[in-house]
Amino acid sequence: MAKTPAKRTNDQGNENGELAPPSPLIVGIGASAGGLEAFKTFFSLMPTDSGMAFVLIQHLDPNRLSMLVDLLSAATQMPVTEAKDGAQLIANHVYVIPPDATLTVESDVLRVARPAPPRETRRPIDTFFVSLAAAQGDNAVCIILSGGGSDGSIGLTAIKEHGGLTLAQAEFDSHAKLGMPSSAAATGRVDDVLPVEQMPEKLLDYARYLIALRDRIGAGGVLAGDADSLAKICRIVRSVVGHDFSEYKDKTLMRRIQRRMQGARAETMDDYVNYLRKEPREVRSLFQEFLISVTDFFRDPEAFAALVAQALPQIVADKGANDKIRIWVSGCATGEEVYSIAILLKEQLAGKDGAPILQIFATDIDEEAIVHARAGRYRLDQLEGVSPARREKWFVQDNDRWCPAKQLRELCVFSVHNAIKDPPFSKLDLIVCRNLLIYLQPPAQDRLMGVFEYALRPGGYLFLGLSESLARQNKTFSIVDKKNRIFRRRENVLASLPNLPYATAKVASGQIAARSAATPEDRLDIDTRRTMERHFPAYIVVDARNEVVRFSTHVAKYLGPSPGAASLDLFALLQRPLRPPARAALQKAVRGRQSAVQKNISVEIDGATHMIDLLAEPVGGGESGFCVLAFLDRGLAPLASASSHEGVQDLEQELALTRERLQASVDELEVNNEEMKSANEEYQSVNEELQSTNEELETSKEEMQSINEELQTVNAELNAKNDTLLRLNSDLKNFLDSTEIATLFLDSQLRVTNFTPAMTGLFHLRESDYQRPVTEIAPRFEYGDLAHDVAEVLRTLMMVEREVATSAGRVFIMRIRPCRRLDNVIDGVVVTFLDVTDRKQLDAERLLRSEMVVSSGDAIIGLDSKGVILSWNAGAEALCGYANAHATGRHVELIVPADLRSGELDRRTRINRGERVENYDTMGQRRDAGLVDVSVSISPVKDGAGAITGASLIVRNITERVRAKERQALLLLELNHRVKNTLATVQSIASQTLSDEPDPQAFRDAFQKRLAALSRTHNLLSDGDWRGSPLHDVLLAETAPYTNGADRVAIEGPNVKLTPGASLALGMAFHELATNAAKYGGFSVPAGRVQVKWGVENGGGERRLHLEWRESNGPAVTTPKRRGLGSRLIERGLAHQLNGTAELRFESAGVRFILEAPLASIEAAP
Amino acid sequence: MTGRSLRILVVEDEMMIAFFIEDCLDALGHTIVGPASRVANALQLVATESFDLALLDINVAGEEIYPVAHELKSRGIPFVFLSGYGSRGLSGEWVGSPMLPKPFVAGDLETRLQTVITAAT
Repeated sequence: MAKTPAKRTNDQGNENGELAPPSPLIVGIGASAGGLEAFKTFFSLMPTDSGMAFVLIQHLDPNRLSMLVDLLSAATQMPVTEAKDGAQLIANHVYVIPPDATLTVESDVLRVARPAPPRETRRPIDTFFVSLAAAQGDNAVCIILSGGGSDGSIGLTAIKEHGGLTLAQAEFDSHAKLGMPSSAAATGRVDDVLPVEQMPEKLLDYARYLIALRDRIGAGGVLAGDADSLAKICRIVRSVVGHDFSEYKDKTLMRRIQRRMQGARAETMDDYVNYLRKEPREVRSLFQEFLISVTDFFRDPEAFAALVAQALPQIVADKGANDKIRIWVSGCATGEEVYSIAILLKEQLAGKDGAPILQIFATDIDEEAIVHARAGRYRLDQLEGVSPARREKWFVQDNDRWCPAKQLRELCVFSVHNAIKDPPFSKLDLIVCRNLLIYLQPPAQDRLMGVFEYALRPGGYLFLGLSESLARQNKTFSIVDKKNRIFRRRENVLASLPNLPYATAKVASGQIAARSAATPEDRLDIDTRRTMERHFPAYIVVDARNEVVRFSTHVAKYLGPSPGAASLDLFALLQRPLRPPARAALQKAVRGRQSAVQKNISVEIDGATHMIDLLAEPVGGGESGFCVLAFLDRGLAPLASASSHEGVQDLEQELALTRERLQASVDELEVNNEEMKSANEEYQSVNEELQSTNEELETSKEEMQSINEELQTVNAELNAKNDTLLRLNSDLKNFLDSTEIATLFLDSQLRVTNFTPAMTGLFHLRESDYQRPVTEIAPRFEYGDLAHDVAEVLRTLMMVEREVATSAGRVFIMRIRPCRRLDNVIDGVVVTFLDVTDRKQLDAERLLRSEMVVSSGDAIIGLDSKGVILSWNAGAEALCGYANAHATGRHVELIVPADLRSGELDRRTRINRGERVENYDTMGQRRDAGLVDVSVSISPVKDGAGAITGASLIVRNITERVRAKERQALLLLELNHRVKNTLATVQSIASQTLSDEPDPQAFRDAFQKRLAALSRTHNLLSDGDWRGSPLHDVLLAETAPYTNGADRVAIEGPNVKLTPGASLALGMAFHELATNAAKYGGFSVPAGRVQVKWGVENGGGERRLHLEWRESNGPAVTTPKRRGLGSRLIERGLAHQLNGTAELRFESAGVRFILEAPLASIEAAP
Repeated sequence: MTGRSLRILVVEDEMMIAFFIEDCLDALGHTIVGPASRVANALQLVATESFDLALLDINVAGEEIYPVAHELKSRGIPFVFLSGYGSRGLSGEWVGSPMLPKPFVAGDLETRLQTVITAAT
């Protein structure tokens, strides 16, 4: 390349011989069809901290977006971005070529140019790799992965030339994958053919190796090698490849070997030698490495200018239209110099009438290079040395390639040729051999110079490279321009074909010896030789081309040179009659490697006819190709006798005629020969043209392959996306199927796009209902207006929620949500139905239960397992006097009286163990410290797993019940007492009545009457629920039997309620009074009257009752003699029981009874 | 009938029962002190009268007789409770004291008196 990249550290190092500082490896990876998989595999194994930057070039369809960035982001943690113009390459990043763009790198910055060249000329991988090689030198790595065609091979070569590492993808073992990898491998410039999986490891090793190696490389950038190893290596190369590099300069070879060692990871030369021995492929790679040569159009322009000025005119000058200009470019590599020379010559010949034919032979031992040179397709950057005018004139643009024009191309013939070993061209006007000699050691240089000397015609020019010189060949060459290395072969020196390498060294030195001063022969030898020479047959020595190399003495008589251009061609020198037999003899001798004789050839010598035998014999065993042709004169031809004179004359005439014809034939043959040579060269042209056509077809094929690759790339990406879609789709389907939430997907026209199986319970949906508007499908529930709701959702983008109930009694919450695509466009709605029937039921139950707790009049208290109050209802607040906030969190002992706490603890312990605790009655303690009778039931509270987490207390206030019980007990007691008292009273009545009335009849009467009186009072008391009876009623009851409805008793007094005891006592007393009155007093006669009056007075600090019973209008009153129960009762009993005073007066007007008693003894509680 | 004629304090507010007791005691030849119909009256009689034994109605016009019993006990005068409540009528320290449930017959009274007097002598 014309540019010298800044970071090259191979051969040249930089000017000071220092090494550039290490920088991150830039790895360019090119792929086409099948690249996606390979990229993914590569990155999945590449660590994210390797310190390398990765640039991916793929054949992309310029009109489509590439999904490569997305697809690769999933394969690696390193950031994957599309390359942007001006982006700096950062370590541990991945950059991807954008579609419709050309990606290159300058220094460490990416350059993106749009649009990409047309498909036919696009070679994006080559373009990038070439720029990478120039920019990064041996910091560059290129990897060629799967793909069709051959894109990348040229770039890979460039990388290699600049000292980078090159890898290609293997199909299996180390066989490169067909397509780009195998094309790359075919260049011979690939360091390693590997499966993708092994590449990351390789890169990491290489990076490590580079670092280690830099430490060991000395100044000047070359490993110290040893000659022994070098010799071994050259021997190995020669044995495998057949070319001997032992004559090349050590340093050059070392540099090349060092580069290979880098690739092979060998640390010492010995390691590498062993490696070479094991790996024949490496030998070939090393060979290719040796061949690497750098070439350019018009390289060293000054030198070319000098050539034009000083050599070409001379070359062209004395050539006519029938002449040929023959040029040989040795070591032509990829042909740039060849076409340069062609251009110059054409320019030189331009305008010249009758231009001679131009033949340029270009050779190199590198077959690959020759192929490239023949193809003649150069990138624009390779044509830097060509001026735009020349480029216009001499090159044809073929998309992004420039090809030499046909008129140039047809001048050049390329072939593989080893300058040192193979026979050279000859009769050359110009030899161009630049940068070959410098690689050779002096002996080889000498030999090559000898070849050149032979090949050039006298006066021909030799054009060498600037770093080459002619130390020794001053004799043969004159210096035309020393600086520019232009030399001219001297005219007067005989050319002699130098011996080929297989000839022994002795022969070579013999050659030199021949040129140097001859060893002096002594006088005798000279004289003897001279004498014998007169008798020896004359002879000529020819070489393999039948060119004369030696004349003996006296040979001139056999010569009859053809008129025209002078030549040493034997068959142009000999007399005509001798030519055919000489040809025959020589052919036979060479073929048979032994002498051959042609006899009886008549030759005119000095006017006389001689009979000659020709003897041809190879010299030196025939290997050297030299042959001796000796002329054996057998004397004069016998004179023809007279007798047969005429016949002989006829014969002789016939013979002469025959000879003439033969000569003519021979001449014709020679002409044909020449024509055939031309034809041959024409066929060569045709061949070249066919090759061009072939190249064009190849190009078309490559274009098709390009398209194919692009399609494959797109296909691979689509397949990958398709796989993803399939997977997502099946995930979605599984997800929807597994969900028990009925879900319905509608587009914005309310058409069904998808639904879950659970939806069939809500809508009459079937598989065939996809894409039907949902309004056509019957729901299983009452729902007003789905269309309206959906429209609202789509409009407001807010969710709409409703509760719906099916006819089966299930309740659902229906939610309609807008459906967004990934790019945020609203695409329809999702309707979900969540079955909340059970939940509602549970909620209702829970509400009911909590209502029960809240509204319960009982205290319901929740405790944890330690007895801490967790819940406290209104009933508890009312019962215990603590507000909810106060009680919650306190221990339940708050409401347990101190002396009952151990019992409570015991019960709670039993509850926690899961035992049943029966309901029990106890006391609770209120906030005001008062106690309250309660009935408690404790139930354990369990969690979902059945473990006991606490207890629930229901505490009921049983004060009323307790009081009722007490009251009842009291009543019972009272009843008992009262019955007993009544019995005792009856007993007393019976006993006393019997004492008063011994007569059974009288007894019965009085007893029954008294019992009746008692009974009447009992009835009154019963009517009043034994709380007491009004005095008025008691009085009335006892007097009623004796009044018979007549108005005989006057009762008057305030309302006084008597105690039961006082009622009974007064009842009995009034009975006695009334009985008495009936017998003797106010009730005994119709006119009789009884008046009862009472009143309440305050006396002596208490209220007192004053009652009077006055009889009137009765019979006369007499004091009875007998005082029975009646009197006892009236006079003593009442006073006793009522704690008052009583007086019975038998007054003349009537009986009078006066009672006084404190009201306290008499009056019942209100 | 045994023994001498006793002076017996009777505390009973029910007049009919008081009469019955009087008649029984009378028939047995004993002398009645009272009857008192109120605790206050009874206490007064205890303070002023001498007697050998007392018959005490437990519930006298709504009051308990125990203060009188206390007095008698401190004086070493034997007594018999008369109860309309059965044995449950006695409370606390008086449980086990001689008692005659109402109604009782004269024979029972006589027997109880004998027992008490014998125990007291």
